[in-house]
Amino acid sequence: MVSVAFINPLSDEGEMIVRELGNFERVLTDNDDLMQIVTESHSQELSDDSLIPKNYVDLALKRIEWYSKKKNDRNFDYKQYDFLFNPEINKFDVIAFYLLCQAVGVKYGPNSRESRVVVESQGKLIENRLGKLSNTERYQVVTNILNSLISTSHIKWTFFEDLVSTKKLKLQDLILDKGEIILDKDDFLLRLSHKIKGRNPEKMYEALIGDRIKELLMIKMVMQNTEDYILRVSEKSNREIEPNPILLELADKISEVLAASVQSYGYGGGYGGSVKASALNPKAFPPCVKKVMEGMKSGGRNDAIIMFLTPFISYARLYPSVFSENVTKQISDVDPTLLIVQNEVLPLIFGAAERCSPPLFEDQPQDKVNLNAKLGFGMHQNPELKNEGETTWYTPMSCEKVKIHLPSLCKPDENCKKIGNPLSYYNRMIWKVKKESKSESSDKDR
Amino acid sequence: MVKIAYLTPATPEERKRYYREEWDIKLIPDYITHSIQEREFGFDHVGRGPNDRYKVFRTPELLKRFLKVRTPFAAYCSVAFYDKPRRRDKWTKAELVFDVDAKDIPIRTCGCEGVCEICLNEALEIVSGILDTLKGDLGLDNIHIVYSGRGYHIRVLDNNVMGVDSDVRSQIVKYLVGADVPKNEYSLDYEKVSYEHFVIPFGYPNVFTARVKYSILHLNKDTELDEVNKKLVKDIIKHRHLIEDDNWGMFKNKIGPQRYRKAMNGIASMNMSLVDAKVSIDLKRILRLPSSLHSMVSMKCTEVKNIETFDPFKEAVPKFVYERKD
Repeated sequence: MVSVAFINPLSDEGEMIVRELGNFERVLTDNDDLMQIVTESHSQELSDDSLIPKNYVDLALKRIEWYSKKKNDRNFDYKQYDFLFNPEINKFDVIAFYLLCQAVGVKYGPNSRESRVVVESQGKLIENRLGKLSNTERYQVVTNILNSLISTSHIKWTFFEDLVSTKKLKLQDLILDKGEIILDKDDFLLRLSHKIKGRNPEKMYEALIGDRIKELLMIKMVMQNTEDYILRVSEKSNREIEPNPILLELADKISEVLAASVQSYGYGGGYGGSVKASALNPKAFPPCVKKVMEGMKSGGRNDAIIMFLTPFISYARLYPSVFSENVTKQISDVDPTLLIVQNEVLPLIFGAAERCSPPLFEDQPQDKVNLNAKLGFGMHQNPELKNEGETTWYTPMSCEKVKIHLPSLCKPDENCKKIGNPLSYYNRMIWKVKKESKSESSDKDR
Repeated sequence: MVKIAYLTPATPEERKRYYREEWDIKLIPDYITHSIQEREFGFDHVGRGPNDRYKVFRTPELLKRFLKVRTPFAAYCSVAFYDKPRRRDKWTKAELVFDVDAKDIPIRTCGCEGVCEICLNEALEIVSGILDTLKGDLGLDNIHIVYSGRGYHIRVLDNNVMGVDSDVRSQIVKYLVGADVPKNEYSLDYEKVSYEHFVIPFGYPNVFTARVKYSILHLNKDTELDEVNKKLVKDIIKHRHLIEDDNWGMFKNKIGPQRYRKAMNGIASMNMSLVDAKVSIDLKRILRLPSSLHSMVSMKCTEVKNIETFDPFKEAVPKFVYERKD
């Protein structure tokens, strides 16, 4: 049977492999055994030397490269990464996993894009590795791992609070009864079969729960444990001595792999290249922003203008790449004299507030202070540099948050698909407009 | 019986009469008095919102004295528990709450401007459905229902959920209200099997079916649903008698499978407004204090002992209303 550590490197077996590594410097030494396993992997593409990882650090980077290309590259060639699915690589793979977690933990911390990618890539690797196993083997390994993580009878959904909180797991994905997650077939039949009319309960169990939910829980728990491990590494590195330079160098290379991915395919938002601050183009606003710009009726006005529109307009104009850069800034970092805020940002927000019914600042003038606070200038009437930093410059609400706070605003159009934040929508549309105008001008040149 | 339409705001004199003659500290539920030192209290003295915040009371007796002396327009207390409530510092946990305001529920058959008997009953129906799911699916207990004056608050004091963050609360809301259409295709031994939500009598699909049934049975021709045209709304209304008897398959056939999907998407999106989700995800919210007076409508914020028999016009009307001359 495939090793448990191949699926869950954080298992006891995985930890044992790490302990056996010996001298840490070995991670950079060319390893013949590793290269042999790679070259002997069933469908591995060998046409180019760069396709073959030569040591642990190389292998760690290949893991990230695989995830990034698989997600973004339409011409992704799975044969270039076949070694990642060869169980023989297990011992090397486990070390590569720990290297990745430690590198992103010490350099970027648990809330970074790099850490997120390490966690997500581990989840995807598990899914793909399981997909290559026989049904029996798959069932056995999932059951083994799950049993080592939880007791599979009478598990309360609240046990997975962390997974639900980080959106790795949706409550809707689970079959819940009296607060417990139903995984076991007999338990299912005992509790629920009497309710099922005109359908075969066993077949229904297999379709709705079967091994699917167990696999889902196992994968998400390993992802959560990976995230927790990165957090522990980060906390420890903050308390202790200088981190190992090999890890810092690996962390830089991870970032380079991701940056290369953004350059070539765009990361997450589906647009390419960097997004530079420029004059706003209201035609590129998403439907929710357009709706607020037209003015809101009493009831949702405050939240729509203050909580939603103010961060959106200010970031779209001044710092549209906030999510891809993942660096916290103040407005004065991007608009040192606050002239753009005064001349471009505020007039748009005030205009939308004026179009509300009744106009927002007419009957609630104190909301100007709240608006100012959302821009990071504290509880004052106007934005002034001396007050900057008293409050935080709020980032734009995600689509998820819009649905909760302002459900009436969310009327998605075609372009909203796969977009998680109205700002990503805007950036994507701006990129599209630029791309189209470029191709138009090159057509004219011909 | 008192009609809510006649319930005009309480005068300062009436507030004084209420707190000094009718109200008693014993009317505040134990789940508040027993944790009084850990909660923040807030008051609205003039009817412009709760701007007297960060109040703390060491004993119920001190709260009693405050209410009898100040006779506020409105009184609130936090759903959150703090080690230092005066500064809202060291948050320890918060009740999980759901606010079903009759005025804001997305489909109201009454069409009234404010709230009336009809929409209050509809709010209570929604509360009842949510309560079933909280207990049946999520397995929660220690749940209290409070008539707020214009709707209902569901307050969950089950320790299993009092420590959860806003993201978990947001997912709970979505589960309870049926905010996402469940998938209808499942994998089974390399093939796909189709189960519409209405053939699955348990779990989230069953919750969704219940909420959609409620919404469809309360639709009117003017209801606006995302991406659903007037003709489809009309057809849903025409055939909805089928789902009264749970003939969902026939209903879907009459509507047509693609239009059915469209209708489900529209209703799922509307379901998000069945409760005020902002209230549920706010970990430091203050809610109207049970037993206090809702002075705007002259009704008592009242703990609902029995949801089946509760009638706000019998149990939540203060005495001074009956004694009004006009």
